[in-house]
Amino acid sequence: MHSVDASSLTRKSFRVGPSLLGTFLTFAFLLAVGYPSSAAPLSAIKVHALPAFARKYGLPCSSCHLAWPMLSPFGQAFKDNGYQLGNDRDAPIYQSPAYWPVTFRITPIWHRENETNAGVDSATAPGGQTEASLTTHGFDWSGLDFHTGGTLAKNVSFYVLPSSDNTGAFHFETVMARLDNLAGTTWLNVKLGKFELDNLLSEKRILTLTNVAGVYTNYHYQPLTEVASPGAIPFVFGIGDNQDGLEVMGHSKDDRTRYSVALLSSNDGTPGLPTCRCYATFLTASQAFQVGSLGLQRIGAFDYIGEWPTYYQFTQGGNGVAGTGIGNKSYYRAGLIGQFFIKKYDLTAMYFHSSDNAYLGTGTPANQPLPVGAQKPVWNGGLFESHYTFSPQFILIQRVELVRMSQQAFQIGGGPVYVPGSDEVPSASFGNENVYAIAGRYYPFISSRAGFAFHGEYAFSHQSGASPVTGRNLDFSSLLAGFDFAF
Amino acid sequence: MTLKHVFLAALATLAAVTLTAAGPGSGTITGKITYDGTPAKQKPIDMSKEPSCASQHPTPITTETVVTGPGNTLENVVVYISAGAPDEAAPSAPVNFDQKGCQYVPHMLAFQTNQELKISNDDQTSHNIHPLAKINQEWNKSQPPGTPPIIAKYDKAEMIHVKCNIHPWMSGTFAVLKNSHYSVSDKDGNFKLPNLPPGKYTITAWHEPDQEMTQDVEISGSETKTVSFVFKLKPY
Amino acid sequence: MRKINISKLFVVIAILLATPLLGSAQDESHIGKVTGNEGRGRQFYFRYCWGCHGFRGNGDGENAPYLNILPRNFVAASFKCRSTPTGTLPTDEDLFNSIRRGFVNTNMPSWITLTDQNRADLIAFIKSFSPRWKTEKAGTPINVPAETPLTVQSIQHGQQLFQKLECWKCHGQEGRGDGPSASTLTDSNDQPIRPYNFAAGSRFKCGTTNHDLYKIFMTGLDGTPMPSFADVIKPEEAWDLVHYLRTLQIRHNSPELALWLTTKEGAAIVSAQRVSGTPTGSGVNQ
Ligand SMILES: [Cu+2]
Repeated sequence: MHSVDASSLTRKSFRVGPSLLGTFLTFAFLLAVGYPSSAAPLSAIKVHALPAFARKYGLPCSSCHLAWPMLSPFGQAFKDNGYQLGNDRDAPIYQSPAYWPVTFRITPIWHRENETNAGVDSATAPGGQTEASLTTHGFDWSGLDFHTGGTLAKNVSFYVLPSSDNTGAFHFETVMARLDNLAGTTWLNVKLGKFELDNLLSEKRILTLTNVAGVYTNYHYQPLTEVASPGAIPFVFGIGDNQDGLEVMGHSKDDRTRYSVALLSSNDGTPGLPTCRCYATFLTASQAFQVGSLGLQRIGAFDYIGEWPTYYQFTQGGNGVAGTGIGNKSYYRAGLIGQFFIKKYDLTAMYFHSSDNAYLGTGTPANQPLPVGAQKPVWNGGLFESHYTFSPQFILIQRVELVRMSQQAFQIGGGPVYVPGSDEVPSASFGNENVYAIAGRYYPFISSRAGFAFHGEYAFSHQSGASPVTGRNLDFSSLLAGFDFAF
Repeated sequence: MTLKHVFLAALATLAAVTLTAAGPGSGTITGKITYDGTPAKQKPIDMSKEPSCASQHPTPITTETVVTGPGNTLENVVVYISAGAPDEAAPSAPVNFDQKGCQYVPHMLAFQTNQELKISNDDQTSHNIHPLAKINQEWNKSQPPGTPPIIAKYDKAEMIHVKCNIHPWMSGTFAVLKNSHYSVSDKDGNFKLPNLPPGKYTITAWHEPDQEMTQDVEISGSETKTVSFVFKLKPY
Repeated sequence: MRKINISKLFVVIAILLATPLLGSAQDESHIGKVTGNEGRGRQFYFRYCWGCHGFRGNGDGENAPYLNILPRNFVAASFKCRSTPTGTLPTDEDLFNSIRRGFVNTNMPSWITLTDQNRADLIAFIKSFSPRWKTEKAGTPINVPAETPLTVQSIQHGQQLFQKLECWKCHGQEGRGDGPSASTLTDSNDQPIRPYNFAAGSRFKCGTTNHDLYKIFMTGLDGTPMPSFADVIKPEEAWDLVHYLRTLQIRHNSPELALWLTTKEGAAIVSAQRVSGTPTGSGVNQ
């Protein structure tokens, strides 16, 4: 069960698409994992923007969304109240019997992708491989998301999101029910299922769509050395991924103060019982305050602490027996966030500090000795996203993300190229990443029935020393234009 | 011309205007309101939920949205001068509006802007007086039995539908008018606008809920002119 | 090329920059220390409000046809929740509180998540829809005297007032909103409207406190069948009515209900009122 989990060296290979999977790194990794990961790029976008809610309450999209899918404080409070406005019209019995709480979202686009220094086959080059600049472009579309959500009764809410990739293969992105306002207070809400972590900057509401910037790099980053060696269970984790578990959250009535505590299966949101008998916790707290006529400012902190198994206690026919992963090793993702509004301009700044245990960082099963000089990888990240919201109909988006390794899992040495299985990395900066994105979204109409946007975006990323043959930088760029709509 | 001259000239003009406007004339406009077509059938009112009112009506009463007389005459039509006459200050005497037997007396009450309106409850039950003003400010007051009259004023001309929410059949109209030249047609459909100075006037006849007819009339000297209005009524 | 006079250029630029400030005088609102600005309020209105209240503020937004209590018509400027007498304009603070509170049993949500400044700005803009705000001043808030002590006698006297003033004609003898006139009620938009059901557990339309309740029946909810009783209830008697009305809220743990339950008479009445069923009201103290 476990062994078919899609996973990869880095998030980048998700983006690159099947045609580029033949790079040496990925090939080596596939041998280790035994399953080709080919998640289509755009299926990573699972945005929660619900005309179904607008229809239910008769509010325009712009009430809940500063620019959909990104939430406004009013929309965040609506979500935190369990998709309820609290005006005694929330329970389904107050809706027209014809009301159907379903929203579809899809994004037809044209995009152009470029990867420099991509590994390609060569009959003449030593080792059979060389590097080339790959450019592809054409028309495409995202997967289709079926958002269904709302209330089952007053103070009992739910969200189910079957989501397809662009081949039509479905999975459940979100499945959860929530008991809201327990004991009559907004401070106690309990959610059970598979859901997005209470990230203050929601990746499911990201305003960028390209393969490069369609997810937050810092939310998924794993050091390039985390390639499972034979016998090891691959470690795959991102706080941007929806997780399975139980969340208790609460907030003040005006939503200025928020907290959440979640107990999660440590399996990165995969279906079925987890690989290990181990859990993770995610804690968040934030406080907003008003500064004159500038708007609301919010600061917060989060911490994710988990354990991940490194090998199977039992195997059958050489395959691990589901749920018997042991040799658990710890990892954490912590950070700070500030969201600042200066009238129509807003800036979100995040700082990340993350570390994985040395066994996870080197892909070593805990029943085998660590490579010589192995240590826990530690890295820091920064995210700066700003928006200028001219009106509810037009928004400009800019983002810079940085990831900096502060401690590599292996010692520095060897050649210019990192070879999985070796116990050296080429440099202290190996795997450092920069991502830049600019985008604009124009909503030609705003209504409470459907959402439609023209989307244009350019994004660029740069990862140090990651090219497979020469150890040069691996750069990706992505240009996208299209429609984004929900109804 | 000096400033003083201008001032004097202005003063003189003002005085002349005031004199012509203020002096009561001796012209009269009279007439009859009749209708064509079929008037809406009036529905009997079931007051059984309010026994103290029901007992005042030995013969059950009907609604009063259209009240007709013999010869197709039409009652409760307010006839007034909508153009040609200057606005007038309100008279000091109040107008009375009574609630009696869970009905409004009169059904159609015409009065002037800023004139005192005295609303009384003669019944043994509470009413709420709810004039649904759109141009003036809407208000809504409770008046239990034995409480003193409610005094009100309206400062803008408007036809205001009046209702009692407790007794949904209770319905009346306040015709708030800008001058004293108005008349409400009687049960024979007659109206009379006396004391008109010479001039050109526009006469408006208004019937609830919102039917309006106008005619232009010129009065010279002390003549009496007859103007008639024929309302087209529909049975619904 | 002609040489440009730098100082003249500065003057031109200064005038251009100042023009928006010199434009038509904008309406303001004043709530405590916060001053609302019409121009900023316009931006928020066209983000949050127009879907129901309409582009012209006359309550004909795209969703209005689907709402069974129609959105407020800001052009008519008749408002339910006021501290001012019936037929007068509300104060800025009344409107501010209404936006903050929302209206239960309607589609108007609470906008508590907006900042005080946002709400003040919205008030300034909403007032620009009706010429009334230019020609009339807001009414003078009614005087609410200090609450009289809660006693059994006070509740009993309130009960007598409830009978005498015939509140039950609409609200029903048990306050369930099922009086003999209840089914015929319409609001000023000719839409059916239900009287408040005290037993259901939802909060009052215009607030939660005894003070709010006092103001509700002393000012009336303009635009609805609920009249003002200011002319017919003496202020000290009004508190008796407040105390009694609280005992009708049998799902709401008030001191009035607790005291009432200690009396034989009250306990009998309340137990007769309690009917098991599905609560449709709010479980959250708003
Ligand atoms: Cu009545």
